[in-house]
Amino acid sequence: MISGEQLPRRSLLWLIACQIAVMLPHLERVPLWVVMIYLATALWRLQMFRQRAEMPNKWLRLLLGIAGATLLFISYGTFVGLEPMVALLLVAAALKILESIRERDGYLLVFLGFFICVTHFIFIQTLPATLYTVCCTGLLVTALITLNQNPSGGISNREPALAIKMLTLAVPMMVVLFFLFPRIGPIWSVPSSSGQGKTGMSDFLRPGAVTKLGRSADVAFRAGFSDVIPANSALYWRGLVLSKFDEGAWRTLQWRELPVSERQGVPPEVFGDPLQYRVLLEPTQQRWLYGIAYAKSPTAGVYEASDYRLGVVNPVEFQFGYDVTSWPASVLQPNLSDWRRRVETEFPKGINPLTEVWVRDLRRQYSNDRDFVGALLNYFRTQPFFYTLEPPEILSSDFVDQFIFNSRRGFCEHFAYSFVAMLRMVGIPARIVAGYQGGEVNPLNNTVVVRQFDAHAWAEVWMDGEGWIRVDPTAAVSPSRIEFGLEAALEGASGFLSDSIISAYRFRGIRVLNWMRLRYDALAFGWQSFIVSFDSARQIELLRGWFGEIKVSWFVTLLLGSWAAILLPLMLWLSRERSVQRLLPEERRFVDLCSRLEQRGLHRPFGEAPLRTLRRVREHLPEGDPLYGALEDAVANLYAKASKP
Amino acid sequence: MPVIDLPALIDRAVSEIGEVLLGKEQTVRQALCCLLTSGHLLLEDLPGMGKTTLAHALADVLGLSYARVQFTSDLLPSDILGVSVFNRDQEAFQFRPGPIFNQLLLADEINRATPRTQSALLEAMAEQQVSIDGASRPLPELFFVIATQNPMHQSGTYALPESQLDRFLMRLSLGYPHFEAERELLQRGALPTKAVINRTMTSQQLLAMRAVIHETALSDSLLRYIQRLTAFTREAPEFAVGLSPRGALALVGAAKTWAQMEGRDYVTPDDVQAVLAPVIAHRLIPSADYAGDGEALVALLRSQVDVIPD
Repeated sequence: MISGEQLPRRSLLWLIACQIAVMLPHLERVPLWVVMIYLATALWRLQMFRQRAEMPNKWLRLLLGIAGATLLFISYGTFVGLEPMVALLLVAAALKILESIRERDGYLLVFLGFFICVTHFIFIQTLPATLYTVCCTGLLVTALITLNQNPSGGISNREPALAIKMLTLAVPMMVVLFFLFPRIGPIWSVPSSSGQGKTGMSDFLRPGAVTKLGRSADVAFRAGFSDVIPANSALYWRGLVLSKFDEGAWRTLQWRELPVSERQGVPPEVFGDPLQYRVLLEPTQQRWLYGIAYAKSPTAGVYEASDYRLGVVNPVEFQFGYDVTSWPASVLQPNLSDWRRRVETEFPKGINPLTEVWVRDLRRQYSNDRDFVGALLNYFRTQPFFYTLEPPEILSSDFVDQFIFNSRRGFCEHFAYSFVAMLRMVGIPARIVAGYQGGEVNPLNNTVVVRQFDAHAWAEVWMDGEGWIRVDPTAAVSPSRIEFGLEAALEGASGFLSDSIISAYRFRGIRVLNWMRLRYDALAFGWQSFIVSFDSARQIELLRGWFGEIKVSWFVTLLLGSWAAILLPLMLWLSRERSVQRLLPEERRFVDLCSRLEQRGLHRPFGEAPLRTLRRVREHLPEGDPLYGALEDAVANLYAKASKP
Repeated sequence: MPVIDLPALIDRAVSEIGEVLLGKEQTVRQALCCLLTSGHLLLEDLPGMGKTTLAHALADVLGLSYARVQFTSDLLPSDILGVSVFNRDQEAFQFRPGPIFNQLLLADEINRATPRTQSALLEAMAEQQVSIDGASRPLPELFFVIATQNPMHQSGTYALPESQLDRFLMRLSLGYPHFEAERELLQRGALPTKAVINRTMTSQQLLAMRAVIHETALSDSLLRYIQRLTAFTREAPEFAVGLSPRGALALVGAAKTWAQMEGRDYVTPDDVQAVLAPVIAHRLIPSADYAGDGEALVALLRSQVDVIPD
């Protein structure tokens, strides 16, 4: 074996460190045994490094490879999909550590490492993830440097320092590429997220569904307002409209259930001051978006359904940003079609007999729809109803009877469910709306941060001439929920955030920490809305703003020109630095004086010592020439000052 | 410490030596510079060029106790270091010091001795002590070796290895005298040095001068110049072996002395250039496909490295 081909011993340590570092972010999405393989192969390789173990032979390695692939298939049940693919890559890299003997194996490991770094971005693009990847890149570059340097010598900080310098020099290029490099859409697509990870709301509502969300402080979305943020009690983020009652659960009307005439919604007449904001939705794996009614979005790909909610065609797999304009004062659907009226009043008869009797009695007292609604709300308000995150479970089908007359303890969906059911029993069109209510205002960047525990369900009631109006029975029971949020409404009751024990949100009582939390949230919002969601549309928009109309030829010129503009000075600077040493200021002065001598026709030959130059020049310069004095000073200045040890 | 007028003392010494060694002022200065830097001196030249005369003159003018050893192929280490002899009266061995226990040892025609004897001397030069019969004996505080040698291609010589050449601070050659100087020499005949040369300085003065020289300032720019010089010898393909750190240190030391001899308390590239060839030429080894010798390499070095980087 030629020694030059061998993997330098100290590179190995860096390479193993790199591999572990790039694998760590994938911990949450690969089976634990993949990590075990990593640790085992790293350990084995280290033992080989210490001459304590042999490299496994060809057959054993082959066996390990096959075993890894088989285990993966057993773990995931398929090779199709992002997670199995990434896991396969990780297993391959882990096994590669074991047989890395030669220098080219080292290069392979480094490039595998870069690739694994990139796969991380498929799943997550947050600021911390990016910073972590930058660190990994630094490690990988360090490993690459050690592969290219004298193999002897121990671990020193010279290589990391060089790596940091190299990456810093690459920053201008990165910025240019970020803004100018054409963004090409994905060429292929891989089915992602094998079923898991649907967070937040689901598209049907069963009692207890929203309650679960009350335990989590995960961010659902952030909304950055361009102007004043409305009061908390007006922040009803409409997500789903649940018009259909099916087997004990409320669900949305599917598109194919709509008659052709109903499929196209009629945009309402807008009036009042619009609200402008941009929503940055965390991945939900669902097809609906959130907005304050009546909401309209100019963002490409966002459509408006006939019940005035916003939606997208494909599930939101990554953070998704969209602009919204809302007119809260608009009248939604002033005229109700017969079909719509029939659907929105449908509720199975006979399953809640007690309630049916009771509402029919009440309806006799209040024939006016508005009065009837008021009476129902008053009932909630005056009777001992409780708002709680831990309601007793009602499993029988007569949910409304049980809730209204028996348990009377519930979360928002219990109230919305019963309320809408009661209205439908007397033939008033009503439906449940699910979404979020309120949110935390971050004054640092004028955004509202909406978390999972802000999830809420309320009702919409159709009134003649007024269209669909929002009625929130929860507000009748617990007004503080609407004005101050869930935590205030529960007042320390158990259950709140019980799934997010260490969430920073819990520590916002401490002022500094809270400020830091808000600051970080503002930063994250900026990162997401300016960096991550910088797609080709925004790129073109930005470049148009800078340069006007864009032609392809011109764009290519700009791209290449900017590369040259960055790389050439960098190259020059680097080559200057490499040319032995840069001039000291005193030396610069001496050189300047020499070039002035040159102008007078007095050339200093290469290598001539300064005192000799002085002696020679004195004869040619007139008596008392200031140039001679300056030169004399410069020489003394250059050499008389002892260097500091 | 008394104030020492170093340049004046040196000038006097140079003129004294000039009485016997005509027209070789620059070489004499370089030789004095070498001794002031506490370095050993190697004089290399053909027979009859005045090597021994210079060595004698230096010893006289500095007022040092001195001994001369003519190196031959049968010279033994004990002939230089000394030997223990049995004293009958005291019934014990008594050490009889060799010529090396003088302040100045003139090793004439060093390359005629066998390597064994050469290395006995060179060890003493490096460590300033000798070990005889298991006891270390220190050499005088002022200890110089002036060795002379004939060019190596002469018959009956053992060339000094590079490692031992490196122990000499400078290697000087005298060369043929100038036309004028030679005529004067022929006119008056050779003079015995003892008769002509007066002692011009004391040992205390010599030690004081060393202290002064030690204080000479070295600027960043100058150190960088020296580093560029050394770097060039290590990188250029003409050099088989570059200058060692000991060589670079020797260069700095000699340049400091030269600066003081010129009456300056700081070193400039002029000083470095003045001592460059004697200090480094014998330490440089040309690569196999380079035709020139050490001197040619120094010339190459000077033509390639400027005092200020461009």
